[in-house]
Amino acid sequence: MMTVISSTHATVKERPVTTLDQQPAKAEGRKDPWGVLLEKVGKHQDRAAYHALFEHFAPQLKYYAISNGMASHAEELVQEVFISIWRRSCLYDWRKAAASTWIFTIARNQRIDMLRKMQRTSAEMAVETEDLWQIPGDNEDEPVTSLHRLMSERRIRESLSQLPEEQITVIAKVYMEHKSHQMVADELQIPLGTVKSRVRLALNKLKVILQDQNV
Amino acid sequence: MTRHHPDSLSLMEYSAGNLSEPHALCIRLHLDQCPHCRSRVDTLNSLGAVMMDQQPKVTVSDNSFDQLMARIDAAPADASPVAKTPRMSPLQKLLGQDINDLPWKRQLGDVSVLDISEKFPGQSERVVLQKLVAGGKAPAHTHRGNETTIVLQGAFADQKGVFNQWDFVVLNEQDEHKPVAVGCEDCITLSVLSAPLKLTGTFTRLLNPFMR
Repeated sequence: MMTVISSTHATVKERPVTTLDQQPAKAEGRKDPWGVLLEKVGKHQDRAAYHALFEHFAPQLKYYAISNGMASHAEELVQEVFISIWRRSCLYDWRKAAASTWIFTIARNQRIDMLRKMQRTSAEMAVETEDLWQIPGDNEDEPVTSLHRLMSERRIRESLSQLPEEQITVIAKVYMEHKSHQMVADELQIPLGTVKSRVRLALNKLKVILQDQNV
Repeated sequence: MTRHHPDSLSLMEYSAGNLSEPHALCIRLHLDQCPHCRSRVDTLNSLGAVMMDQQPKVTVSDNSFDQLMARIDAAPADASPVAKTPRMSPLQKLLGQDINDLPWKRQLGDVSVLDISEKFPGQSERVVLQKLVAGGKAPAHTHRGNETTIVLQGAFADQKGVFNQWDFVVLNEQDEHKPVAVGCEDCITLSVLSAPLKLTGTFTRLLNPFMR
């Protein structure tokens, strides 16, 4: 289960990314359109931009809630995620995460948070959800590797279209239905090992485990 | 520099938000110190975003956006931007004091333990802190079920290698080892023991990763 990686991974070359101030034109070209809108919300509380984000992401989030078994709280989850987007947009940095990735992590945390609160009183929560599941880029002062990150979303999209259906099915159940690998195995009536190998094959194709193997 | 990392499948379960709270804590503590794994999780989060985008969409109710704006306008405090303040380490928050000053329970020889499972109400796993005094040895032992361990302070060594601060280890029944605390600090670890429900009673002692 353990992945041992030599310390040389620290030297993996990541192209340094220039700041906005240095090369505005070039940097603008790399922004994704949703990131541009998110920045407008963060900087100017731009309601038109916020509405455009809502139109695009709210239907995704509603399905996310329903597929995760929260049908009766689906609208509530959408609302909570968007309140959180409004409040946190000033922290969003397009160089650290694509907007959709950032919104996905907020949705994931909000889903976990709502479930935790339904299950117990807040007095019992010794650790907050965000102590366990962090939002990328929120409190990090590390070198920005945006090109790598924005590219990775595009690359994932492209690679995903080439994966066999059986691999996508497993990944979808893990991400959209909140199912552990064991639960996916039980549901599809296949051995746990098969589920894991399908996930590994997919992650390999998606280059998630590239670094494990190359160093 | 950490050398022992969580595997990709665990990071995926973390990214999907499917891990239990104690397991998520172990991953989170590792991520805080490991840029390499943070980058892997970033990619996995992007996978989550792409999955969400490629799944069906469900129309929200007509007045949903208006309700949202009404909420933002009505409760400026609730909807005010969050400040970018440095957060306390989740571990510090959980324990409330220095890890060395905890009410450790000496168990046997060089080993002390502290069961903190009650900090995670509703979770089926046992969550145990262990301390092996600097230079101390734990008796040879095996493990029951899966044990996820992260080194919080110091280092220990066994026949598989040296595990330093923030290293991540998963052990099971097949792993018999005889850890020794190396270096000049006491070695403190956090372990999450996935417990078969049939075990009760003497179970904490039986599952102690350092000994049984």
